Amino acid sequence: MKKVLFAGVAASAMVSGSAYAQHLMFKPGEGDFHWDSYQAFADANDLSGQTVTITGPWTGNEKERVEAVFDYFEAATGATVEYSGSDSFEQDIVISAEAGSAPNIAVFPQPGLAADMAKRGLLTPLPEGTAAWVKDNFAAGQSWVDLGTYADKDGNDQLFGMFYRADLKSLVWYVPEAFEEAGYEIPKSMEELKALTEQIVADGGTPWCIGLGSGAATGWPATDWVEDLMLRTQPASVYDQWVKNEIPFNDPAVIGAINEFGWFAKGEGFADGGPEGVASTDFRDSPTGLFALPPKCYMHRQASFIPAFFPEGTKVGEDVDFFYFPSYADKDLGNPVLGAGTLFAITKPSDATNVLLDFMKLPIAHEAWMAQGGFLTAHAGVNTALYNTDSERAMGEILQGATTFRFDGSDLMPGEIGAGAFWTGMVDYTTGKSAEDVTAAIQARWNEIK
Amino acid sequence: MEHIAGHKPALTWIVRICVTILVVLWLIPTVGLLVSSFRDRDDISASPWWQAPFPAEQTFATRIAGDAVQQADGYLLTGDIHDLPEANGAGRITAFGVSRSAPTGIAAGDTTDLPKGGTLTVHPDGSFEMLTPEAPDAKGQRLYFAAEVPPEFTTANYESVLYANGMAQAFINTFTVTIPATIIPILIAAFAAYALAWMEFPGRGLIIAGIVGLLVVPLQLALVPLLRLHNDIGIGQSFVGIWLAHTGFGLPLAIYLLRNYMAGLPKDIIEGAKVDGATDFQIFTRIILPLSFPALASFAIFQFLWTWNDLLVAKVFLPSDSESWVMTRKIADDLLGSRGGDWGILATAAFVSIAVPIAVFFLMQRYLVRGLLAGSVK
Repeated sequence: MKKVLFAGVAASAMVSGSAYAQHLMFKPGEGDFHWDSYQAFADANDLSGQTVTITGPWTGNEKERVEAVFDYFEAATGATVEYSGSDSFEQDIVISAEAGSAPNIAVFPQPGLAADMAKRGLLTPLPEGTAAWVKDNFAAGQSWVDLGTYADKDGNDQLFGMFYRADLKSLVWYVPEAFEEAGYEIPKSMEELKALTEQIVADGGTPWCIGLGSGAATGWPATDWVEDLMLRTQPASVYDQWVKNEIPFNDPAVIGAINEFGWFAKGEGFADGGPEGVASTDFRDSPTGLFALPPKCYMHRQASFIPAFFPEGTKVGEDVDFFYFPSYADKDLGNPVLGAGTLFAITKPSDATNVLLDFMKLPIAHEAWMAQGGFLTAHAGVNTALYNTDSERAMGEILQGATTFRFDGSDLMPGEIGAGAFWTGMVDYTTGKSAEDVTAAIQARWNEIK
Repeated sequence: MEHIAGHKPALTWIVRICVTILVVLWLIPTVGLLVSSFRDRDDISASPWWQAPFPAEQTFATRIAGDAVQQADGYLLTGDIHDLPEANGAGRITAFGVSRSAPTGIAAGDTTDLPKGGTLTVHPDGSFEMLTPEAPDAKGQRLYFAAEVPPEFTTANYESVLYANGMAQAFINTFTVTIPATIIPILIAAFAAYALAWMEFPGRGLIIAGIVGLLVVPLQLALVPLLRLHNDIGIGQSFVGIWLAHTGFGLPLAIYLLRNYMAGLPKDIIEGAKVDGATDFQIFTRIILPLSFPALASFAIFQFLWTWNDLLVAKVFLPSDSESWVMTRKIADDLLGSRGGDWGILATAAFVSIAVPIAVFFLMQRYLVRGLLAGSVK
């Protein structure tokens, strides 16, 4: 059976006259990838001579990985994909779309900018039926549809973005050996996590490494903390109201979540370097405290991308591991998960572009990157056995098993707030201001831009 | 000699010392960058660059495992720490420990009790004896130790920048952008400057005022309309487009600088030439151009440096495929990785990319010094 499939794929690749088949990272027909649907897709589409241009935020080795995925599209259809990554994607895409030289597809790292561009009429809605497909095929499908749906120029809600690649934020990283030597157990609830924090301090250690520094974006790691704690202290509906400003930013619910963060970041001896150290440490440097000898800290709450900043040669699952940032046992709010993701949107429509988006719906488009590592997906139809590492598989399963999935709230708020006032407000809070003052100032700013 | 008016040795020395201090202060960031470019990513985050030349004390984590010899009082395992895994680069041992929370609690040469029973002695030269009541298991005994590590420098950053795929192409692309983008504005500006300095026509003052006004307009304002214009007239994103863009952005300064210089040339020569029947074009090519060489050269340096270092204009006006990347874009979008954590690469890339401008600067600096005074003395 597998041989037949392989022959079929190879034949179709040859028919479409592409030399890319030889470069494919995983040979068609081999391994537990979903080759059947890929084969059918290859048979149904021939785009020889056409080109799809894509720009996105992925550079360096992430660019190589996504290009390996597009190789499959090229081999199947004979089309050419020109992907270019940029570290200033957010500025570049606005300039090129305004000037009329936009690529076919733009890959947005967060929905706020996509919503903004949709409103200015710079995006084209996705083909009909995409919304229904996402709803049926993604875990927690409706929430992904909502996240990709924005008002167009005339104010009508349409689906503009299809999510591809997710990040999981609700993770606490730790060094298993340090836990083992000190006799600490992985906390199953927020109460246990707080007890463990106090225990580590009592044993003379420092429990947390937190770093808010990130150049012009300093403060964002704290907004992730607050969002995660918001989901653990309030129902998801309150979270949604907060993000849309239907409850004021200085609502007691929000102040409560910020003070919860303060418990960890401002507690005496709880965070490495104290509150001042938290505010001034770069988020890229902060996880290295886990690996210091003696440990500068025992735990680090950060998203699934952070292993990229661990010291060279660190093995996830062996030298370092993670656990789910737990929820309160005495609050009946389920297991909420905070995440983020990149979305594909059409900036210049063409037939080949629509076919490429069809390709991105195939399990193989997700599996080809999963198997290379550094990729999580909410696509429910993929073979999770293909995840590159056990830890990524565990993250993928957290994502697919979430009772509540919520997107990074600061990415959904207007840029002025979510990428400005909220960030700086959290730095102010960490270095001494009260949560009441900070939230009142953020709300005042929000009122100004309404 | 000592009594010449205005010559005070003490004052001279104070000036010299002040200048030296300022130069040293001014160079500190560059030196830091240079040192960082020879260190790897983990070293850079472990210690500041000014500690790089000195041996540092570093803490290692390893495991003692192996075949123990059975003796009357237990199992004895001996060996050298330097042969253990993950002990690369360790020098003389200063301290050791068996728990993560106190990895250097025991001075080298002393003996400690092990948590599971038995004793461990580690000597400064790295030899150790571990005596346990039972045979050690395959996983081994955790051992932490502090050792002196000689300073370590690497050229790996330079290798990865210089031998990166497509670096040669990016280097050529940068030249393809900078050379025409330096020559075209000079050609146009020289003609314009002559006309504005020496030809009488109505509205001349207004044009000069307009050009001075253009100096303060930020080029970011023009990005979108200019790119839209390029798309409409069919240039699109291309090298021709970026030459035109750089020319436009460079012209106000070029015309202003050259006009002021040319206006300061002696009037008598030009009037003499006119009396002899020379046309404006002859005056320009035979007299003005050779005399203006310092000003032309100094503007060429300015324009060359600015177009060489430019990232923004290149991102907007060049196609985004990797065949047309200039060096700055190659460094920012490809070598630095997805989240910009590679400081070593960044420092190295900075030095690689300033090599050519520095060469240009030293070759032409005598014109720069002369040209900086352009228009300042009437």
